[in-house]
Amino acid sequence: MPIHDQGYRRYGGSKAPLGQGWTVIARAGIRAMFAKRAFLGLLLLAWLPFFVRAVQFYAAANLPQAAVLAPTPDTFRQFLDQQATFVFFVTVYCGAGLIANDRRANALQIYLSKPLTRAEYVFGKLAILATFLLLVTWVPGIVLLIVQMSFAGNFTFLRNNLFLFPAITVFTFVEVLLVAMTMLALSSLSNSSRYVGILYAGVIFFSSAVYGVLYAVTRSTMFSWISFPANLEQLGNVIFRQPPRYDTPWPVSLFMIVLVIALSGVILERRVRGVEVVA
Amino acid sequence: MNASAPVVGAEHLSKWYGQVIGLNDVTLSVPPGITGLLGPNGAGKSTFMKLITGQLKPSKGSVTVLGEPIWGNPALYFRIGFCPEQDAFYERMTGLEWVTALARLNGLSESDAAATARRGLEMVDLLDAADKKIGAYSKGMRQRVKMAQALAHEPQLLILDEPLSGMDPIMRRKTIRMIKEWGRAGKSIIVSSHILHEIESMTANILLINQGRILAEGNVHQIRDLIDEHPHTVYIKADQTRALARAFLAHDDVLSLRFEDQAVVVQTGRPDAFYARLTDLAASGELGAIHEVTSPDDNLQAVFQYLVKT
Repeated sequence: MPIHDQGYRRYGGSKAPLGQGWTVIARAGIRAMFAKRAFLGLLLLAWLPFFVRAVQFYAAANLPQAAVLAPTPDTFRQFLDQQATFVFFVTVYCGAGLIANDRRANALQIYLSKPLTRAEYVFGKLAILATFLLLVTWVPGIVLLIVQMSFAGNFTFLRNNLFLFPAITVFTFVEVLLVAMTMLALSSLSNSSRYVGILYAGVIFFSSAVYGVLYAVTRSTMFSWISFPANLEQLGNVIFRQPPRYDTPWPVSLFMIVLVIALSGVILERRVRGVEVVA
Repeated sequence: MNASAPVVGAEHLSKWYGQVIGLNDVTLSVPPGITGLLGPNGAGKSTFMKLITGQLKPSKGSVTVLGEPIWGNPALYFRIGFCPEQDAFYERMTGLEWVTALARLNGLSESDAAATARRGLEMVDLLDAADKKIGAYSKGMRQRVKMAQALAHEPQLLILDEPLSGMDPIMRRKTIRMIKEWGRAGKSIIVSSHILHEIESMTANILLINQGRILAEGNVHQIRDLIDEHPHTVYIKADQTRALARAFLAHDDVLSLRFEDQAVVVQTGRPDAFYARLTDLAASGELGAIHEVTSPDDNLQAVFQYLVKT
Protein backbone atom coordinates (compact mmCIF):
# COMPACT_ATOMS: atom_id res chain seq x y z
CA MET A 1 0.00 0.00 0.00
CA PRO A 2 1.60 3.31 -0.99
CA ILE A 3 2.08 5.82 1.78
CA HIS A 4 1.39 9.35 0.60
CA ASP A 5 3.33 12.34 1.80
CA GLN A 6 1.06 14.30 4.14
CA GLY A 7 3.46 17.23 4.44
CA TYR A 8 2.86 20.72 3.14
CA ARG A 9 3.09 20.99 -0.62
CA ARG A 10 4.20 24.21 -2.18
CA TYR A 11 2.05 25.80 -4.87
CA GLY A 12 3.50 24.76 -8.21
CA GLY A 13 1.08 26.50 -10.57
CA SER A 14 1.53 29.68 -12.49
CA LYS A 15 0.83 33.16 -11.20
CA ALA A 16 -0.65 35.97 -13.24
CA PRO A 17 1.91 38.67 -13.98
CA LEU A 18 1.76 42.06 -12.33
CA GLY A 19 -0.78 44.45 -13.85
CA GLN A 20 -3.76 42.12 -14.00
CA GLY A 21 -5.02 42.70 -10.48
CA TRP A 22 -7.66 45.08 -11.78
CA THR A 23 -9.36 42.23 -13.61
CA VAL A 24 -9.77 40.36 -10.32
CA ILE A 25 -11.33 43.44 -8.72
CA ALA A 26 -13.56 44.06 -11.73
CA ARG A 27 -14.71 40.46 -12.10
CA ALA A 28 -15.49 40.10 -8.41
CA GLY A 29 -17.45 43.36 -8.42
CA ILE A 30 -19.43 42.55 -11.57
CA ARG A 31 -20.29 39.11 -10.23
CA ALA A 32 -21.39 40.57 -6.91
CA MET A 33 -23.71 43.04 -8.66
CA PHE A 34 -25.20 40.38 -10.92
CA ALA A 35 -26.03 38.38 -7.80
CA LYS A 36 -28.39 41.15 -6.65
CA ARG A 37 -31.93 40.66 -7.90
CA ALA A 38 -32.94 44.27 -7.39
CA PHE A 39 -30.03 45.37 -9.54
CA LEU A 40 -30.95 42.92 -12.28
CA GLY A 41 -34.46 44.35 -12.16
CA LEU A 42 -33.05 47.83 -12.58
CA LEU A 43 -31.00 46.71 -15.58
CA LEU A 44 -34.07 45.14 -17.18
CA LEU A 45 -36.04 48.31 -16.56
CA ALA A 46 -33.25 50.29 -18.18
CA TRP A 47 -33.78 48.31 -21.36
CA LEU A 48 -37.49 49.15 -21.62
CA PRO A 49 -36.91 52.31 -23.70
CA PHE A 50 -34.88 50.18 -26.06
CA PHE A 51 -37.84 47.88 -26.67
CA VAL A 52 -40.15 50.86 -27.17
CA ARG A 53 -37.73 52.26 -29.76
CA ALA A 54 -37.43 48.86 -31.42
CA VAL A 55 -41.20 48.72 -31.81
CA GLN A 56 -41.10 52.26 -33.21
CA PHE A 57 -38.45 51.24 -35.77
CA TYR A 58 -40.41 48.16 -36.71
CA ALA A 59 -43.57 50.18 -37.25
CA ALA A 60 -41.74 52.83 -39.27
CA ALA A 61 -40.20 50.18 -41.50
CA ASN A 62 -43.28 48.05 -42.01
CA LEU A 63 -46.38 50.24 -41.61
CA PRO A 64 -46.81 53.07 -44.11
CA GLN A 65 -49.13 54.88 -41.63
CA ALA A 66 -46.26 55.03 -39.17
CA ALA A 67 -43.78 56.68 -41.54
CA VAL A 68 -43.67 59.71 -39.26
CA LEU A 69 -41.96 57.50 -36.71
CA ALA A 70 -38.99 56.91 -39.02
CA PRO A 71 -35.75 57.34 -37.09
CA THR A 72 -33.44 60.29 -37.50
CA PRO A 73 -30.06 60.92 -35.87
CA ASP A 74 -31.96 62.90 -33.26
CA THR A 75 -33.91 59.75 -32.36
CA PHE A 76 -30.67 58.19 -31.12
CA ARG A 77 -29.73 61.37 -29.32
CA GLN A 78 -33.15 61.37 -27.61
CA PHE A 79 -32.79 57.72 -26.72
CA LEU A 80 -29.50 58.37 -24.94
CA ASP A 81 -31.11 61.36 -23.21
CA GLN A 82 -33.81 59.05 -21.86
CA GLN A 83 -31.18 56.61 -20.67
CA ALA A 84 -29.68 59.36 -18.48
CA THR A 85 -32.30 58.56 -15.82
CA PHE A 86 -31.17 54.96 -15.70
CA VAL A 87 -27.55 56.05 -15.76
CA PHE A 88 -28.29 57.99 -12.58
CA PHE A 89 -29.92 55.06 -10.79
CA VAL A 90 -27.34 52.49 -11.92
CA THR A 91 -24.55 54.85 -10.82
CA VAL A 92 -26.04 55.33 -7.38
CA TYR A 93 -26.93 51.68 -6.88
CA CYS A 94 -23.72 50.19 -8.20
CA GLY A 95 -21.17 52.92 -7.63
CA ALA A 96 -21.86 54.41 -4.21
CA GLY A 97 -20.36 51.51 -2.27
CA LEU A 98 -17.52 50.65 -4.61
CA ILE A 99 -14.80 52.33 -2.56
CA ALA A 100 -16.84 53.38 0.49
CA ASN A 101 -17.54 49.76 1.42
CA ASP A 102 -13.85 48.88 1.13
CA ARG A 103 -13.02 51.84 3.32
CA ARG A 104 -15.59 50.80 5.90
CA ALA A 105 -14.20 47.26 5.94
CA ASN A 106 -10.58 48.53 6.06
CA ALA A 107 -10.03 46.37 3.00
CA LEU A 108 -7.78 48.85 1.23
CA GLN A 109 -4.90 48.14 3.58
CA ILE A 110 -5.03 44.45 2.71
CA TYR A 111 -5.70 44.94 -1.01
CA LEU A 112 -2.74 47.26 -1.33
CA SER A 113 -0.44 44.84 0.48
CA LYS A 114 -1.03 42.48 -2.46
CA PRO A 115 0.56 42.84 -5.91
CA LEU A 116 -1.96 45.51 -6.83
CA THR A 117 -1.23 49.18 -7.45
CA ARG A 118 -3.60 51.96 -6.46
CA ALA A 119 -4.14 52.73 -10.13
CA GLU A 120 -5.11 49.12 -10.80
CA TYR A 121 -7.49 49.18 -7.87
CA VAL A 122 -9.20 52.33 -9.13
CA PHE A 123 -9.25 51.00 -12.68
CA GLY A 124 -10.85 47.76 -11.47
CA LYS A 125 -13.55 49.70 -9.64
CA LEU A 126 -14.03 51.97 -12.63
CA ALA A 127 -14.42 48.92 -14.86
CA ILE A 128 -17.25 47.60 -12.68
CA LEU A 129 -19.31 50.77 -12.90
CA ALA A 130 -18.38 51.43 -16.53
CA THR A 131 -19.49 47.93 -17.52
CA PHE A 132 -22.98 48.44 -16.16
CA LEU A 133 -23.26 52.00 -17.45
CA LEU A 134 -22.23 50.93 -20.94
CA LEU A 135 -24.76 48.14 -20.64
CA VAL A 136 -27.53 50.72 -20.37
CA THR A 137 -26.13 53.28 -22.81
CA TRP A 138 -23.66 52.15 -25.46
CA VAL A 139 -24.89 48.57 -25.84
CA PRO A 140 -28.60 49.43 -26.38
CA GLY A 141 -27.58 52.40 -28.56
CA ILE A 142 -25.52 50.24 -30.89
CA VAL A 143 -28.03 47.38 -30.83
CA LEU A 144 -30.73 49.88 -31.73
CA LEU A 145 -28.72 50.90 -34.77
CA ILE A 146 -28.47 47.24 -35.79
CA VAL A 147 -32.19 46.76 -35.13
CA GLN A 148 -32.98 49.71 -37.40
CA MET A 149 -30.97 48.12 -40.22
CA SER A 150 -32.60 44.76 -39.65
CA PHE A 151 -36.13 46.13 -39.76
CA ALA A 152 -35.43 48.44 -42.71
CA GLY A 153 -33.73 45.61 -44.58
CA ASN A 154 -31.10 47.98 -45.98
CA PHE A 155 -28.11 50.12 -44.97
CA THR A 156 -29.48 53.38 -46.34
CA PHE A 157 -30.04 55.01 -42.97
CA LEU A 158 -26.63 53.96 -41.69
CA ARG A 159 -24.92 55.03 -44.93
CA ASN A 160 -26.59 58.44 -44.73
CA ASN A 161 -25.65 58.80 -41.06
CA LEU A 162 -22.28 57.15 -40.86
CA PHE A 163 -21.29 59.38 -37.94
CA LEU A 164 -23.88 57.70 -35.70
CA PHE A 165 -21.75 54.76 -34.65
CA PRO A 166 -18.79 56.91 -33.54
CA ALA A 167 -21.21 59.48 -32.09
CA ILE A 168 -22.96 56.92 -29.90
CA THR A 169 -19.60 55.48 -28.89
CA VAL A 170 -17.88 58.79 -28.12
CA PHE A 171 -20.84 60.28 -26.28
CA THR A 172 -21.57 57.24 -24.13
CA PHE A 173 -17.91 56.73 -23.26
CA VAL A 174 -17.51 60.40 -22.26
CA GLU A 175 -20.72 60.18 -20.23
CA VAL A 176 -19.66 56.96 -18.53
CA LEU A 177 -16.17 58.25 -17.79
CA LEU A 178 -17.52 61.46 -16.28
CA VAL A 179 -20.22 59.79 -14.22
CA ALA A 180 -18.07 56.87 -13.05
CA MET A 181 -15.08 59.01 -12.10
CA THR A 182 -17.30 61.43 -10.19
CA MET A 183 -19.01 58.63 -8.33
CA LEU A 184 -15.74 56.87 -7.50
CA ALA A 185 -14.27 60.11 -6.19
CA LEU A 186 -17.32 60.66 -3.99
CA SER A 187 -17.24 57.03 -2.89
CA SER A 188 -13.64 57.46 -1.75
CA LEU A 189 -14.64 60.35 0.49
CA SER A 190 -16.84 58.39 2.85
CA ASN A 191 -17.28 55.04 4.56
CA SER A 192 -21.04 55.08 4.01
CA SER A 193 -22.45 54.13 0.63
CA ARG A 194 -25.80 55.66 1.59
CA TYR A 195 -24.16 59.00 2.27
CA VAL A 196 -22.25 58.77 -1.01
CA GLY A 197 -25.48 58.13 -2.92
CA ILE A 198 -27.06 61.20 -1.36
CA LEU A 199 -23.94 63.22 -2.06
CA TYR A 200 -23.97 62.22 -5.72
CA ALA A 201 -27.64 63.08 -6.09
CA GLY A 202 -26.85 66.37 -4.37
CA VAL A 203 -24.09 67.19 -6.85
CA ILE A 204 -26.40 66.50 -9.81
CA PHE A 205 -29.47 68.28 -8.49
CA PHE A 206 -27.69 71.15 -6.78
CA SER A 207 -25.68 72.06 -9.89
CA SER A 208 -28.87 71.94 -11.97
CA ALA A 209 -30.79 73.95 -9.39
CA VAL A 210 -28.14 76.68 -9.29
CA TYR A 211 -28.23 76.89 -13.07
CA GLY A 212 -32.04 76.95 -12.96
CA VAL A 213 -32.02 79.90 -10.56
CA LEU A 214 -29.49 81.78 -12.69
CA TYR A 215 -31.58 81.08 -15.77
CA ALA A 216 -34.70 82.35 -14.04
CA VAL A 217 -32.89 85.56 -13.08
CA THR A 218 -31.01 86.26 -16.32
CA ARG A 219 -33.22 84.41 -18.83
CA SER A 220 -29.98 83.31 -20.45
CA THR A 221 -28.59 79.80 -20.82
CA MET A 222 -25.01 81.13 -20.68
CA PHE A 223 -24.61 79.65 -17.21
CA SER A 224 -25.41 76.10 -18.23
CA TRP A 225 -21.75 75.19 -17.62
CA ILE A 226 -22.61 75.19 -13.90
CA SER A 227 -24.96 72.26 -14.38
CA PHE A 228 -23.44 68.80 -14.41
CA PRO A 229 -26.12 67.29 -16.74
CA ALA A 230 -26.32 70.39 -18.96
CA ASN A 231 -22.63 70.10 -19.89
CA LEU A 232 -23.21 66.54 -21.02
CA GLU A 233 -26.32 67.55 -22.98
CA GLN A 234 -24.46 70.37 -24.69
CA LEU A 235 -21.57 68.13 -25.67
CA GLY A 236 -23.99 65.37 -26.72
CA ASN A 237 -25.75 67.66 -29.14
CA VAL A 238 -22.46 68.69 -30.70
CA ILE A 239 -21.38 65.07 -31.06
CA PHE A 240 -24.73 64.14 -32.64
CA ARG A 241 -24.56 67.17 -34.95
CA GLN A 242 -27.64 68.70 -33.38
CA PRO A 243 -28.14 72.40 -32.66
CA PRO A 244 -26.70 73.27 -29.22
CA ARG A 245 -29.24 73.44 -26.42
CA TYR A 246 -27.53 76.20 -24.45
CA ASP A 247 -25.70 79.45 -25.14
CA THR A 248 -22.60 78.18 -23.39
CA PRO A 249 -19.92 77.48 -26.02
CA TRP A 250 -19.43 73.72 -26.26
CA PRO A 251 -15.67 73.93 -25.58
CA VAL A 252 -16.59 75.40 -22.19
CA SER A 253 -18.86 72.43 -21.50
CA LEU A 254 -16.10 70.09 -22.61
CA PHE A 255 -13.64 71.92 -20.38
CA MET A 256 -15.99 71.53 -17.40
CA ILE A 257 -16.33 67.80 -18.09
CA VAL A 258 -12.56 67.37 -18.33
CA LEU A 259 -12.13 69.46 -15.18
CA VAL A 260 -14.55 67.27 -13.20
CA ILE A 261 -12.81 64.11 -14.41
CA ALA A 262 -9.39 65.54 -13.52
CA LEU A 263 -10.62 66.67 -10.12
CA SER A 264 -12.04 63.23 -9.47
CA GLY A 265 -8.67 61.75 -10.40
CA VAL A 266 -6.90 64.02 -7.92
CA ILE A 267 -9.38 63.07 -5.16
CA LEU A 268 -8.89 59.38 -5.90
CA GLU A 269 -5.13 59.77 -5.87
CA ARG A 270 -5.29 61.31 -2.42
CA ARG A 271 -7.98 59.10 -0.92
CA VAL A 272 -7.18 55.62 -2.22
CA ARG A 273 -4.40 54.63 0.14
CA GLY A 274 -3.77 51.59 2.25
CA VAL A 275 -3.09 53.82 5.19
CA GLU A 276 -4.85 57.07 5.84
CA VAL A 277 -2.30 59.68 6.78
CA VAL A 278 -3.61 62.56 8.82
CA ALA A 279 -0.89 65.17 8.76
CA MET B 1 18.86 36.56 -2.64
CA ASN B 2 21.63 35.38 -0.31
CA ALA B 3 20.18 33.17 2.46
CA SER B 4 21.87 35.22 5.16
CA ALA B 5 21.14 38.59 3.57
CA PRO B 6 18.90 40.82 5.67
CA VAL B 7 15.21 40.53 4.89
CA VAL B 8 14.63 44.17 5.78
CA GLY B 9 17.15 46.95 5.66
CA ALA B 10 16.64 50.58 6.60
CA GLU B 11 19.04 53.46 6.10
CA HIS B 12 18.37 56.67 8.00
CA LEU B 13 14.68 55.95 7.71
CA SER B 14 12.42 58.73 8.97
CA LYS B 15 8.73 59.40 8.71
CA TRP B 16 6.95 62.59 9.67
CA TYR B 17 3.23 63.13 9.89
CA GLY B 18 3.20 66.87 9.43
CA GLN B 19 4.92 68.20 12.55
CA VAL B 20 4.84 64.84 14.35
CA ILE B 21 7.67 62.39 13.89
CA GLY B 22 6.67 58.76 13.59
CA LEU B 23 10.08 57.25 12.98
CA ASN B 24 13.35 59.01 13.58
CA ASP B 25 16.51 58.26 11.59
CA VAL B 26 16.38 54.50 11.89
CA THR B 27 19.21 52.41 10.45
CA LEU B 28 18.93 48.68 10.91
CA SER B 29 18.95 45.31 9.22
CA VAL B 30 16.60 42.49 10.08
CA PRO B 31 18.18 39.06 9.59
CA PRO B 32 16.29 36.03 8.24
CA GLY B 33 14.28 34.07 10.80
CA ILE B 34 11.83 35.35 13.36
CA THR B 35 12.27 38.90 14.59
CA GLY B 36 10.13 40.52 17.22
CA LEU B 37 9.33 44.21 17.05
CA LEU B 38 8.61 45.51 20.50
CA GLY B 39 7.48 48.81 21.79
CA PRO B 40 4.70 50.51 23.68
CA ASN B 41 1.74 52.12 21.95
CA GLY B 42 2.85 55.15 19.95
CA ALA B 43 6.45 53.95 19.85
CA GLY B 44 6.57 53.85 16.06
CA LYS B 45 5.93 50.12 15.56
CA SER B 46 2.98 50.65 13.26
CA THR B 47 4.82 53.32 11.29
CA PHE B 48 7.72 50.93 10.85
CA MET B 49 5.34 48.15 9.78
CA LYS B 50 3.64 50.45 7.28
CA LEU B 51 7.00 51.54 5.87
CA ILE B 52 8.26 48.00 5.41
CA THR B 53 4.99 46.95 3.77
CA GLY B 54 5.23 49.88 1.36
CA GLN B 55 2.04 51.52 2.55
CA LEU B 56 3.83 54.66 3.60
CA LYS B 57 6.51 56.49 1.70
CA PRO B 58 9.56 57.37 3.80
CA SER B 59 9.98 61.09 4.44
CA LYS B 60 13.71 60.50 4.44
CA GLY B 61 16.04 57.56 4.00
CA SER B 62 15.35 54.25 2.37
CA VAL B 63 13.94 50.86 3.16
CA THR B 64 14.56 47.61 1.32
CA VAL B 65 12.69 44.35 1.71
CA LEU B 66 14.17 41.08 0.45
CA GLY B 67 16.89 43.16 -1.16
CA GLU B 68 14.58 45.47 -3.14
CA PRO B 69 13.07 48.85 -2.40
CA ILE B 70 9.50 48.30 -1.26
CA TRP B 71 7.99 51.69 -2.07
CA GLY B 72 6.28 51.64 -5.47
CA ASN B 73 7.33 48.04 -6.07
CA PRO B 74 4.11 45.98 -6.03
CA ALA B 75 5.85 42.99 -7.62
CA LEU B 76 7.55 42.47 -4.27
CA TYR B 77 4.18 41.73 -2.67
CA PHE B 78 4.18 38.35 -4.39
CA ARG B 79 6.91 37.47 -1.87
CA ILE B 80 5.43 39.13 1.18
CA GLY B 81 2.48 38.26 3.38
CA PHE B 82 1.04 40.96 5.60
CA CYS B 83 -1.38 40.48 8.47
CA PRO B 84 -2.59 43.89 9.66
CA GLU B 85 -3.56 44.66 13.21
CA GLN B 86 -6.95 46.07 12.26
CA ASP B 87 -9.80 43.93 11.05
CA ALA B 88 -10.25 44.22 7.30
CA PHE B 89 -13.22 42.08 6.42
CA TYR B 90 -16.42 41.89 4.51
CA GLU B 91 -18.46 40.35 7.30
CA ARG B 92 -20.90 38.77 4.85
CA MET B 93 -18.18 36.76 3.14
CA THR B 94 -17.13 33.38 4.42
CA GLY B 95 -13.54 32.89 5.54
CA LEU B 96 -12.89 30.76 2.48
CA GLU B 97 -14.36 33.30 0.07
CA TRP B 98 -12.32 36.08 1.62
CA VAL B 99 -9.00 34.25 1.57
CA THR B 100 -9.73 32.99 -1.97
CA ALA B 101 -10.46 36.52 -3.20
CA LEU B 102 -7.18 37.77 -1.74
CA ALA B 103 -5.28 34.79 -3.14
CA ARG B 104 -6.65 35.79 -6.56
CA LEU B 105 -4.99 39.17 -6.09
CA ASN B 106 -1.73 37.29 -5.71
CA GLY B 107 -2.08 36.16 -9.29
CA LEU B 108 -3.56 32.70 -8.73
CA SER B 109 -6.26 31.32 -10.98
CA GLU B 110 -9.73 30.82 -9.51
CA SER B 111 -9.36 27.09 -8.84
CA ASP B 112 -5.78 27.42 -7.58
CA ALA B 113 -6.80 30.29 -5.34
CA ALA B 114 -9.56 28.22 -3.73
CA ALA B 115 -7.19 25.32 -3.10
CA THR B 116 -4.51 27.66 -1.76
CA ALA B 117 -7.04 29.37 0.50
CA ARG B 118 -8.08 26.02 1.94
CA ARG B 119 -4.45 25.19 2.64
CA GLY B 120 -3.95 28.56 4.31
CA LEU B 121 -7.00 28.07 6.49
CA GLU B 122 -5.82 24.60 7.36
CA MET B 123 -2.47 25.99 8.45
CA VAL B 124 -4.16 28.28 10.95
CA ASP B 125 -6.50 25.53 12.10
CA LEU B 126 -9.59 27.22 10.70
CA LEU B 127 -10.69 24.82 7.99
CA ASP B 128 -13.72 23.69 9.99
CA ALA B 129 -15.05 27.25 10.01
CA ALA B 130 -14.04 28.02 6.41
CA ASP B 131 -17.62 28.18 5.18
CA LYS B 132 -18.92 30.29 8.05
CA LYS B 133 -19.49 33.99 7.54
CA ILE B 134 -16.68 36.13 8.97
CA GLY B 135 -19.31 38.12 10.85
CA ALA B 136 -19.85 35.06 13.02
CA TYR B 137 -16.14 34.61 13.80
CA SER B 138 -14.69 35.24 17.24
CA LYS B 139 -11.86 37.73 17.64
CA GLY B 140 -9.32 34.91 17.68
CA MET B 141 -10.77 33.39 14.51
CA ARG B 142 -10.62 36.76 12.80
CA GLN B 143 -6.94 37.02 13.70
CA ARG B 144 -6.33 33.58 12.28
CA VAL B 145 -8.21 34.20 9.03
CA LYS B 146 -6.10 37.33 8.57
CA MET B 147 -3.01 35.20 9.07
CA ALA B 148 -4.33 32.66 6.58
CA GLN B 149 -4.57 35.30 3.84
CA ALA B 150 -1.04 36.45 4.66
CA LEU B 151 0.54 33.04 4.31
CA ALA B 152 -1.74 31.31 1.77
CA HIS B 153 0.42 32.36 -1.19
CA GLU B 154 3.57 31.09 0.53
CA PRO B 155 5.49 34.31 0.96
CA GLN B 156 9.16 34.43 1.83
CA LEU B 157 8.53 37.10 4.41
CA LEU B 158 5.57 37.26 6.76
CA ILE B 159 4.84 40.54 8.47
CA LEU B 160 2.46 40.10 11.38
CA ASP B 161 1.18 43.18 13.17
CA GLU B 162 0.02 42.27 16.69
CA PRO B 163 -1.16 38.81 15.56
CA LEU B 164 -1.96 37.56 19.05
CA SER B 165 -4.21 40.38 20.15
CA GLY B 166 -7.64 39.18 21.17
CA MET B 167 -6.74 35.49 21.18
CA ASP B 168 -7.52 33.29 24.15
CA PRO B 169 -4.54 31.73 25.95
CA ILE B 170 -4.86 28.35 24.22
CA MET B 171 -5.07 29.87 20.77
CA ARG B 172 -2.25 32.21 21.69
CA ARG B 173 -0.04 29.26 22.57
CA LYS B 174 -1.04 27.47 19.36
CA THR B 175 -0.29 30.55 17.29
CA ILE B 176 3.09 31.06 18.90
CA ARG B 177 3.90 27.43 18.13
CA MET B 178 2.69 27.94 14.57
CA ILE B 179 4.88 31.01 14.08
CA LYS B 180 7.89 29.14 15.42
CA GLU B 181 7.18 26.27 13.02
CA TRP B 182 7.00 28.64 10.06
CA GLY B 183 10.30 30.09 11.20
CA ARG B 184 11.80 26.62 11.33
CA ALA B 185 10.36 25.91 7.85
CA GLY B 186 12.54 28.70 6.48
CA LYS B 187 10.16 31.63 6.44
CA SER B 188 11.29 34.97 7.69
CA ILE B 189 8.79 36.54 10.05
CA ILE B 190 8.59 39.99 11.55
CA VAL B 191 6.08 40.07 14.34
CA SER B 192 5.12 43.09 16.36
CA SER B 193 3.69 43.17 19.83
CA HIS B 194 3.62 45.32 22.90
CA ILE B 195 3.39 42.25 25.11
CA LEU B 196 6.95 41.32 25.79
CA HIS B 197 6.66 37.77 27.00
CA GLU B 198 4.76 36.85 23.82
CA ILE B 199 7.68 37.90 21.68
CA GLU B 200 10.15 36.34 24.07
CA SER B 201 8.39 33.01 23.65
CA MET B 202 8.71 33.22 19.85
CA THR B 203 12.22 34.50 19.35
CA ALA B 204 15.31 35.84 21.01
CA ASN B 205 15.94 38.20 18.12
CA ILE B 206 14.26 41.47 18.83
CA LEU B 207 14.02 45.10 17.85
CA LEU B 208 13.13 47.46 20.65
CA ILE B 209 11.50 50.66 19.53
CA ASN B 210 10.41 53.71 21.46
CA GLN B 211 9.56 57.29 20.52
CA GLY B 212 10.34 56.59 16.89
CA ARG B 213 13.83 55.33 17.56
CA ILE B 214 15.26 51.84 17.66
CA LEU B 215 16.52 51.42 21.21
CA ALA B 216 18.26 48.13 20.67
CA GLU B 217 18.41 45.28 18.19
CA GLY B 218 19.72 41.75 18.28
CA ASN B 219 19.62 38.91 20.73
CA VAL B 220 17.77 39.68 23.94
CA HIS B 221 20.69 38.39 26.02
CA GLN B 222 23.15 40.57 24.14
CA ILE B 223 20.88 43.47 24.76
CA ARG B 224 20.88 42.57 28.41
CA ASP B 225 24.69 42.66 28.36
CA LEU B 226 24.57 46.14 26.91
CA ILE B 227 22.76 47.44 29.93
CA ASP B 228 25.03 46.00 32.57
CA GLU B 229 25.58 49.42 34.02
CA HIS B 230 21.99 49.32 35.17
CA PRO B 231 21.30 47.75 38.56
CA HIS B 232 20.07 44.20 38.43
CA THR B 233 17.28 43.34 40.84
CA VAL B 234 17.23 40.03 42.71
CA TYR B 235 14.33 38.87 44.87
CA ILE B 236 15.34 36.39 47.59
CA LYS B 237 12.81 34.63 49.79
CA ALA B 238 14.53 33.23 52.83
CA ASP B 239 14.16 32.38 56.55
CA GLN B 240 16.66 34.95 57.79
CA THR B 241 16.29 37.92 55.53
CA ARG B 242 17.97 40.38 57.94
CA ALA B 243 21.05 38.20 58.33
CA LEU B 244 21.25 37.84 54.58
CA ALA B 245 20.93 41.59 54.15
CA ARG B 246 23.84 42.17 56.53
CA ALA B 247 25.98 39.72 54.54
CA PHE B 248 25.08 41.40 51.25
CA LEU B 249 25.89 44.88 52.54
CA ALA B 250 29.47 43.85 53.19
CA HIS B 251 30.09 44.00 49.45
CA ASP B 252 30.26 47.19 47.43
CA ASP B 253 28.42 45.82 44.36
CA VAL B 254 25.17 45.88 46.35
CA LEU B 255 23.63 49.23 45.57
CA SER B 256 20.36 49.10 47.49
CA LEU B 257 18.29 46.76 49.56
CA ARG B 258 14.73 46.55 50.85
CA PHE B 259 12.51 44.05 52.63
CA GLU B 260 9.26 42.61 51.32
CA ASP B 261 7.31 40.13 53.46
CA GLN B 262 9.62 37.13 53.85
CA ALA B 263 11.98 38.38 51.19
CA VAL B 264 14.81 40.77 50.58
CA VAL B 265 15.09 42.61 47.30
CA VAL B 266 18.63 43.54 46.32
CA GLN B 267 19.92 45.73 43.54
CA THR B 268 23.41 44.88 42.40
CA GLY B 269 25.79 46.39 39.89
CA ARG B 270 27.60 43.09 39.29
CA PRO B 271 25.03 40.32 39.04
CA ASP B 272 27.55 37.57 38.22
CA ALA B 273 29.58 38.15 41.41
CA PHE B 274 26.42 38.51 43.46
CA TYR B 275 24.95 35.23 42.23
CA ALA B 276 28.22 33.44 42.90
CA ARG B 277 28.22 34.60 46.54
CA LEU B 278 24.52 33.81 46.90
CA THR B 279 25.09 30.27 45.66
CA ASP B 280 27.85 29.84 48.22
CA LEU B 281 25.63 31.16 51.00
CA ALA B 282 22.77 28.88 50.04
CA ALA B 283 25.08 25.88 49.85
CA SER B 284 26.65 26.57 53.27
CA GLY B 285 23.32 27.07 55.01
CA GLU B 286 25.00 29.48 57.45
CA LEU B 287 22.21 32.02 57.20
CA GLY B 288 19.26 29.67 57.08
CA ALA B 289 17.32 28.32 54.15
CA ILE B 290 16.89 30.29 50.93
CA HIS B 291 13.53 29.31 49.43
CA GLU B 292 13.27 31.27 46.27
CA VAL B 293 15.52 33.40 44.09
CA THR B 294 13.96 35.25 41.23
CA SER B 295 15.02 38.20 39.20
CA PRO B 296 12.42 40.57 37.87
CA ASP B 297 15.17 41.70 35.51
CA ASP B 298 15.51 38.33 33.91
CA ASN B 299 12.95 39.00 31.23
CA LEU B 300 12.34 41.27 28.32
CA GLN B 301 10.09 43.58 30.30
CA ALA B 302 12.98 44.63 32.48
CA VAL B 303 15.31 45.11 29.53
CA PHE B 304 12.73 47.28 27.88
CA GLN B 305 12.09 49.31 31.00
CA TYR B 306 15.79 49.90 31.49
CA LEU B 307 16.29 51.03 27.94
CA VAL B 308 13.30 53.32 27.98
CA LYS B 309 14.52 54.98 31.16
CA THR B 310 17.92 55.83 29.67
